[in-house]
Amino acid sequence: MLRFIMNRLLVVIAVALTLSVVAFFLLNIAIDPAQAIAGEEANFLEIEQVRERYGFDRPIAVRYLEWFSGLLQGDFGTSYYWNKPVYQLILERIPETLTLALMSLSVTVLVAIPLGCAAALKPNTMIDRFALGIAVSAQAIPNFWLGLMLIILLAVIYPIFPVSGDKTLYHFILPSLVLGTSSVPPVMRLMRTGLLEVMNADYIRTARSKGYFGWKLLIRHSLRNALLPVVSVLAVQLGHKFGGSVITESVFAINGLGRLALESILGADIPTVQILVFIFAFTFLALNLFADILNVYLDPRLRK
Amino acid sequence: MTEPLLKICNLAVSFKTHYGQLEVTRGFNLTLNKGETVGIVGESGSGKTMSMLAMARLLPGQAYVSSGSIQFAGADLLDLNTSEFHQQISGKRIAMIFQEPMTALNPVYTIGRQLTETMLLHENASQAAANKRAIEMLEAVKMPQAALRMEQYPHQMSGGQQQRVMIAMALMNKPDLLIADEPTTALDVTVQDEIIQLLVDLQIRFGMAMIIISHDLGVVSRVSENIIVMCKGDTVETGKTAKVLTSPTHSYTKGLLECLWKLEDAHGIAKQSSTAAVLSVNNIEKTYSISGGLFRKSRTIQAVKPTSFSVFSGETLAIVGESGSGKSTIAKIINGLISTDQGQVLLGETPIENMSDKDRARVIQPIFQDPYSSLNPSQTIGYIVSRPLHIHNTIAASKIKKKALETLEKVGLSSDFYHRFPSQLSGGQRQRVAIARAIILEPKILICDEPTSALDVSIQEQILDLLCQLQKDLNMTMIVISHDMAVVGYLADRVFIMHNGEIIESGEASKVLKHPETDYAKKLMASVYSVPRAKIL
Repeated sequence: MLRFIMNRLLVVIAVALTLSVVAFFLLNIAIDPAQAIAGEEANFLEIEQVRERYGFDRPIAVRYLEWFSGLLQGDFGTSYYWNKPVYQLILERIPETLTLALMSLSVTVLVAIPLGCAAALKPNTMIDRFALGIAVSAQAIPNFWLGLMLIILLAVIYPIFPVSGDKTLYHFILPSLVLGTSSVPPVMRLMRTGLLEVMNADYIRTARSKGYFGWKLLIRHSLRNALLPVVSVLAVQLGHKFGGSVITESVFAINGLGRLALESILGADIPTVQILVFIFAFTFLALNLFADILNVYLDPRLRK
Repeated sequence: MTEPLLKICNLAVSFKTHYGQLEVTRGFNLTLNKGETVGIVGESGSGKTMSMLAMARLLPGQAYVSSGSIQFAGADLLDLNTSEFHQQISGKRIAMIFQEPMTALNPVYTIGRQLTETMLLHENASQAAANKRAIEMLEAVKMPQAALRMEQYPHQMSGGQQQRVMIAMALMNKPDLLIADEPTTALDVTVQDEIIQLLVDLQIRFGMAMIIISHDLGVVSRVSENIIVMCKGDTVETGKTAKVLTSPTHSYTKGLLECLWKLEDAHGIAKQSSTAAVLSVNNIEKTYSISGGLFRKSRTIQAVKPTSFSVFSGETLAIVGESGSGKSTIAKIINGLISTDQGQVLLGETPIENMSDKDRARVIQPIFQDPYSSLNPSQTIGYIVSRPLHIHNTIAASKIKKKALETLEKVGLSSDFYHRFPSQLSGGQRQRVAIARAIILEPKILICDEPTSALDVSIQEQILDLLCQLQKDLNMTMIVISHDMAVVGYLADRVFIMHNGEIIESGEASKVLKHPETDYAKKLMASVYSVPRAKIL
C-alpha cells in the first residue's frame, strides 16, 4: 500500500515538474512580460527599461529556474497588476473557491448517486427515463444560462436567495446548484451502468440465495462495487470545480480563484496566471492520486 | 409415510419475449425426502438450471413460473411473497452453490464477512458466535488454516478453495436442502474429485437433502441415488440412477450414454506414424514475470521448464494437464503468439522465430476453445472463412468463394451458412466455422486448444469425429491441448502429461491413459468419473 502511494507520488511529482515548465514557457512566450508591465501606451524605450529592470532580457531557461526555485522555497512571486505577493492573493481567494467546490460536489453526489441507483434498479421504467432526461438536459444547458435563469427565478421574481456575492454560505447555494448540476450527467450515468452491471453479477445472485433482497442487498453487496469507477470520476469533477469555476464565479460575483484567474488574464498578469495554472493542474493531480488511494482502499484486489 | 421435504409438481418456467411467452421448461416433477440426493442431468438449454432457480427465486428478470406448485416442508413456496421467502427460506432452509466460485463470491469483502453475514441475516446471533460458526464450517469443508482464512479476500485463493468457501457459506445456517449447480465444472479434475467427495461427506454429516445439477453423467452417478434427465425443457427420464444409466428407456438418454462411451473408448488404432518430424521443440522455456513497480521486486513464474519433443507427420499428439500446467503456453509458443525465453521451435528445418507471421500461418493454424468469442460477431461466416485466402493470396480471387463453400461443406455446413453471422449459429456450428477457417489454407499442422470444452457432450462427439475425418483426408498433423481425458483418448495417438511446466509422462495414448506410471498421472486418471456400463440396445 505504502509502495503504491510512493509510486504514484513519484508520478505526480514528474507530471507537476512538466506542468511547471509548460505553464511558465507558454505564458512567457505568448505574452511579452515587459510590454504587459509597461502598459499599452509605453514606447519602445520604456519597454526596454522595464525589460532590463525585471531581468526579462535574460534567457527564458534562467528565468524559469529562478521562478521554480522560488516556488520551491515558497516564493510565488509578486503580481504586477495587483502589486501584491501572489501567495497573498491566492490565500485570500481560496476559501471562496473551496466552499463553492465542496458545496457543488455535494449537490452532484446528492443528486447523481440516488438518481443513478434508482435508474439502475428499475431499468427502462419511468424513473429511468426521468433520470436520463435530467442527465441529457443537464448536459445540454450551459452553466451561465442556468445561472442567469436561477437568478431571475429564485433571486429576482421569488427573492429567496441573494442575487450575487459571497458573504455567507447562503450566498453559495445558487452557484453550487449551477456548478453541481454540470457534473450530474457523467456521475449519474456511471452510477447507473456500474450498478446495472453489478446487479447482474454472480455474487449478487449468491447474496440473493443467502436471503438478501431490496435495500439491504443494495447497501451490503452492490453499492461498494458499483462505486469504484464513480470515485475516480468524482475526483476529476472536483478538480473541474476547483479550477473551472471561472464562469460561475463571474456570474455570481464570487471572489474565488476562477475570478482571480480571469482578472489576471485580462490584466496580462503573468506571475499570477502561471501560479494559478500550476495550482489548478496540481489540484487535479492530487485529487486523482487521492481517488486512486481511495479505490485501493475500496477494492482489495488492487492491494498487493 | 412421512411427508417429503420437497415436492415439485408440474412446474413450468417461461420467458417474456417480444413475441410473447416462451416456455423453457414444462411438466417438471420432483419429490425429495429428507437426506436424499437427486441429480438433474441435461445439456445447456435443457432447463435444468431454470427449474432450480425458479425454486430458489433467483430467476433472471424476464423469466417467471408460469404454472405448477412447489411444496417445501409442508408450505407452498409460490404462495410466499418476496420478503417472506427471503427471510424464511433462502440461505436459511435452502442454500445454493454455483458453478463459478470466482465470480460467485463478492470480490470486495473478506471471506469472514461473507460467511458470517449469512448467519447474522437469519439469526439473532453475536458477531463472535458467527465467527465461531464460520471457522467451524471452514474446518468442515477441510480448508487448511481455517481461522486465518477469515481475513482473506476471494482473489487470494485458488478455485478449489473458493468453492470450499461457497460450500461453507451454504452450510452456515444448516439448511435442509442444498442445491449444487454444476459445482465442479469450473474446476480441475483432481480438485473436482475432492469437492464431490466433500459434498457427499457433508450431506451425510448434516443430514441435508441435495439436488445436484450437472451436464456430467459421471458426477451425477457418483453422488445421487435418483436421477432426472432433461432435454429441451422436458423431463425425458427419471428413476434410480443405476437403473437409468444401465437400462435407459428414452432415446435421448441412450444417445447421451453412447456418445459418452464412444468418447471413453480410446480408438487406439495406431496410425502409421512416420518418423519425419514436422515440428521439433528444442529446450523451450518460458518464464512470466509479474512486474512490480519502482519499489517492488518483480516475481517470476516458470510456466514451461526446459522441454523438448518432436511431432511426427500425420500423428495426433495430445498435451494433457490441469490449468497452470503450462500446456497452453506451449501451444501459444508453437502458434507464434508468444516467444520463448530459451531454445527454439523448428518447423521442419526452419526455426519458427525466423519465419514471418504469414509464412508460419500457412503451415500452422489454431482452433480455439470458445467458438462464442473466437469469431468476429460483425462479419459473415463467408467472410470469416475466406479471409485467410485473401490474406495469403494462394488462389485467384475469382475462385475464393468457391473454395470457401467447399471448405464449409467439408466441415458439414451447407452453403446457406455463407451469409449468416456467428450469432445466428449454435456452439457446435460455430466451432465448425472455426475449423473451416483453420483448414482452408490446408495447413500441415492444426493446433486445437481445448476444441470441445465449451460444447455439450452430444456435440463434442460430432466435432471430434469431424476432426478425425479431416485429419485423415487432409493428411494433417494435430496437436491437441486438453484437460479432458475422454477427448484425448478419442483423438490422440501419443500423449504428454504436463504438470507444473514439465512433461512428466509421455507415450502411446492407450498405454498412458490405461496404465499410467507416475503418481500424478495415476491421480489424474483416477479422478475421471466413468459411468457404470451395461449392455444396451
